[in-house]
Formats: sequence, structure tokens, C-alpha cells
Amino acid sequence: MLKIENLSVKVHGKDILRRVSLEIKDGEVHALLGPNASGKCTLAYAIMGFPEYKITDGTICFRGKYITNLPIEDRVKLGIALAFQHQPTIKGVKLSKLLEKISSPAINMKGFSVNPDLFEREINVGFSGGERKFSEIIQVISLSPIFVIFDELDAGLDIGNLERLASIVKDKLLSNGVSILLITHRGNILRYLKPDVAHVMLDGEIVCSSENWRKIWKTIVRFGYGKCKECEFPSSRQ
Amino acid sequence: MESVRSANFLQVDNEIRRILAEKGVIVLSSREAYKEFTWTRDYFEHKPEDGYFIWIKKPINHPLTTCIAISSPKVSQNPRNLVVIERNVEAEINSVCNAVKKNLCGSHVGRSKVVLKENSGLKIRHFHKWGGGDVVGSSIEFSLGKRARLFHTYRCLAVPEKLETENKTFLASYSSANFEMAVLAKDGHVDIHDSTFLNGEKSSGISRLRMIADENSTILAHSKMVANAVGTGHLDCMGLLLAEESSINAVPELLNKNKDAMLTHEASVGKISEEVLNYLRSRGLTEDEAIDLIVAGFLSGEAPFTHEGRVLPSKT
Repeated sequence: MLKIENLSVKVHGKDILRRVSLEIKDGEVHALLGPNASGKCTLAYAIMGFPEYKITDGTICFRGKYITNLPIEDRVKLGIALAFQHQPTIKGVKLSKLLEKISSPAINMKGFSVNPDLFEREINVGFSGGERKFSEIIQVISLSPIFVIFDELDAGLDIGNLERLASIVKDKLLSNGVSILLITHRGNILRYLKPDVAHVMLDGEIVCSSENWRKIWKTIVRFGYGKCKECEFPSSRQ
Repeated sequence: MESVRSANFLQVDNEIRRILAEKGVIVLSSREAYKEFTWTRDYFEHKPEDGYFIWIKKPINHPLTTCIAISSPKVSQNPRNLVVIERNVEAEINSVCNAVKKNLCGSHVGRSKVVLKENSGLKIRHFHKWGGGDVVGSSIEFSLGKRARLFHTYRCLAVPEKLETENKTFLASYSSANFEMAVLAKDGHVDIHDSTFLNGEKSSGISRLRMIADENSTILAHSKMVANAVGTGHLDCMGLLLAEESSINAVPELLNKNKDAMLTHEASVGKISEEVLNYLRSRGLTEDEAIDLIVAGFLSGEAPFTHEGRVLPSKT
């Protein structure tokens, strides 16, 4: 599905990612863990093709096609989607209007057990933390993606909402064979979505990758991310 | 809105083509009204040549429509309009002033006075659409009696070479005025002056300006709220710059002459942020589609206007 090889990325002239390699196969869930400012979001934005995220080396290949130089919207058309951690407000534009424009086929708004008023509100204006996350996941699903990046899906959510969101991810995405890259700091979402592989990113490099996400998470909880520098697992899963 | 085909007043160039009165509503040319009702001379500064007089005496259950259009080259219009709403009457008016082609190089200088008597209500939608060579001036003065209610929207999404608008709203006790203006300027210069005077106790005014400056355009928006009595007023001026060489100058002004009155304002002028563009492009929209969506949302307001039976697009 997605193959990243030796990817290096600069943002505003500063090197952020260094020779990152990552392969996600069809239907797999990968978790990307790491402390703040380790480069996780940069990887997400580089995969999406945000202009400020300059690729200085390496390649991104999606379903056999090199997308390194494709504009954002063309990557979306190939099936890549991102659920943002920080969503901008867009005054005057109702969520329903955006969904109407981007959904193909038209999305059934009743299928998400959220307050229907949400769809008639301006995008992210005055949304609670939970509403923002539901809005994100509804937008992402409306794109009918085959690969989704969730950037801190679980940030700021209570347990109840986290369970509901995880359930939507399972029912609407995973059950349809969608691959997922889950960027997170927390263990709860890992327990709900049970990643096939977990990676740890430190200082712009993936220093550890393992199918045993529980062991990685326990290590982080017990010793902190510093321990990952001495990781016993290979730094990339080949 | 009903089509201008069935307008209550239709003036094309300098010729009045239709006047359609209704039960409880008197519609005349301003010239006729000046002759027939001497009291109207208190409102017309001089004997008017162009324009309409509408006197709404009874409630009406549908909007009245006026249309003043330029359809020939180099026409000069100077409509002087007077609208009077009697006590306890609710009314709606859709008002269109436009040039039917983009290259007529006409001049339209309209002056209107609107009188809302005690406890009356008016919803007026004012729509302008011009060609690049036109020069347009538009001033409206609203006088609201006690407990009168005004909802006024103005939209101009195709500006002339030069557009000057001036609105003055005078509010008596317990009256309220809500003004929404949306202007999309491209290849034109727009000068907006909007003043609201809270003259009676417990009066309230809201003025909401939405301005977009596209290529080769300048917008000056001077919005003023004056409290002469206890009341509340709010100014909301938002500008969006779409082109590097264009400019928006938003000047909100609050003048409070009563210590118990409350006046507030918010204003911002800026370009569409990269963050918002990237967000919408991440939903599969191209940059142009994203900008169109943002612009349409920014200018969103009332129901669309129709002309010759067609809905006018939100963006030209």
C-alpha cells in the first residue's frame, strides 16, 4: 500500500526527518509513537504533500506509484486521507456543505450517531474537542479512502467518545480493508485498534519497529522514550 | 425572491417601464409623489426626476420588488427613492440596481430615504451588479420610529469601476437595526460609509461588513456606531484579501456619548491562511475550489437573488 524509503524532510530550512523508511501493507494498522516534536506530524504532512514540508531525499510510493511530487488533492484522489490533530476553523462554511462537495457517493450523515446540528454548523467553529474529532472522522470516511493517517485521534477525548470513535474506525474503515497509520501518545487507542506494527520515532528517525506493540508501550510507560534509543528491535521492518 | 419581471417598480435607463401598486400599497414615480403628496417634499431635497415612491399602509405577505437598470451606453441615472412603512406594518422589499451588460459605462447615483413608523418592521434586500466601466453612488437613510425593526442586507458581487455607498440609520427608542453587507471587489474601487445612531433608549444596532478584495481592487470601509442614548451597538468588519496588490482599509469607529450605552466591535483583514487551504485540499479540493468555497462561505447570508427568472450566482 504505502512504501516510504529513506525519506528526509525539511521544514522552513530545518531538517526534521532523517532517512525514514516505513512500509504499510493492505489492511494493516501501524502505530507511530514518539515524544512531542519528534517528527511524527511532519511525516504525516509529508505523506499528504503539504508544500512547506520539503522532501530533500528519499521517496514515497503509494500502490506502486511514486507520489513524492504530487499535489495534496491528487494524493487524496489516490485514496490517502488525513484526520488532523489541530483543525482550523472555517467561518461561513457549514460542515454539510463541505461533505456535499467531497463525498462520493453521498455520505449518510445519520450513520454516525452524532447530533445532526453538527452538520449545519460552520466547520470547527465552536466545536468541542469531541465534536472536532467526529467531524474529522466523518470527513475522512466521506472521501472513501484506502489509507488513513490519524494524527492524535485520541487527544482530548474522554473514554466514552474514544470508544465510539474507535468503533467507527473499525466498522467503517478497518472492516473494509483500509490501512491506517495511527499517530499517538497514548495506550488506550492502541488497545482498541490493536496495531499490527508499532514504531517509535525519536528526533526525526524511526528507532524501533515491532509487531509486539504491547512490549513497546510497556517499555515507554516504564522507562520513557529514552529507553527506545537502546531498542532491541530492528529499526525497520523489512 | 420573485423575478423582476413582476417588479412593482421597473425603471430602465431613464424610462419607467412599470409601476404596479397593490392593495394597501401605493407605488408611484418619485416625480408623481412629489406632486401628489406634498408631505413627501419634507423628504426629497429637490424635485426628483428618477426613482420610486412606495408607501406601505397595510401588511403585505410577500416581498415587493424594485428594479432600476442601465441597459444603454453612457446612461446617467439619479434616482431619488422614498419608502414609508406605516405604524404596525411588516414589509419586505427586494431592491435591484444593475447594469445589464458589463461595458455600458453608465452612471448611477441613487439616494433613498426609508421611514419606518412606530412598531413597523422592514426586511430589505438590496442587490447591486455592475459593469467594469460604471460609476455608482448609493446612499440610504433609514429613520426608525419607536419599536421599529429593520433588517437590511446589501450585496454587490460585481463592482463597478468606482462604488461609493453611504448608509445612515437613525434609531428611536426600543428600535433595532441589523445591517449585513457583502462586497466582492475585482477591478474596482469601493468606498463604504456606514453610520448607525442610537438616538433612543434601549435601541440596538448591529453592522456586519464582509469584504473581499480580489485583483486590482481597493476597499475602504468606514463603519461607525454612535450612542447618543442608552443602547447597544456592535460593528463587525471582516475583510479577505485575495490578491497581493489589492488592499482593504477597515476603519471601525465607536462614539459613545452615554455612559450606560455599550458599544463593541471586532475587525480583521487578512488573506486565506495556508493552514485552511491545506485542510481543504486534504479533502480533495483543488486550491481554486477551496478558495471558492471559502469566499462563498465568507459572503454567505440571505437567500439568493433572481433576475429575469434566474438565480444570480454567488460569484461572478
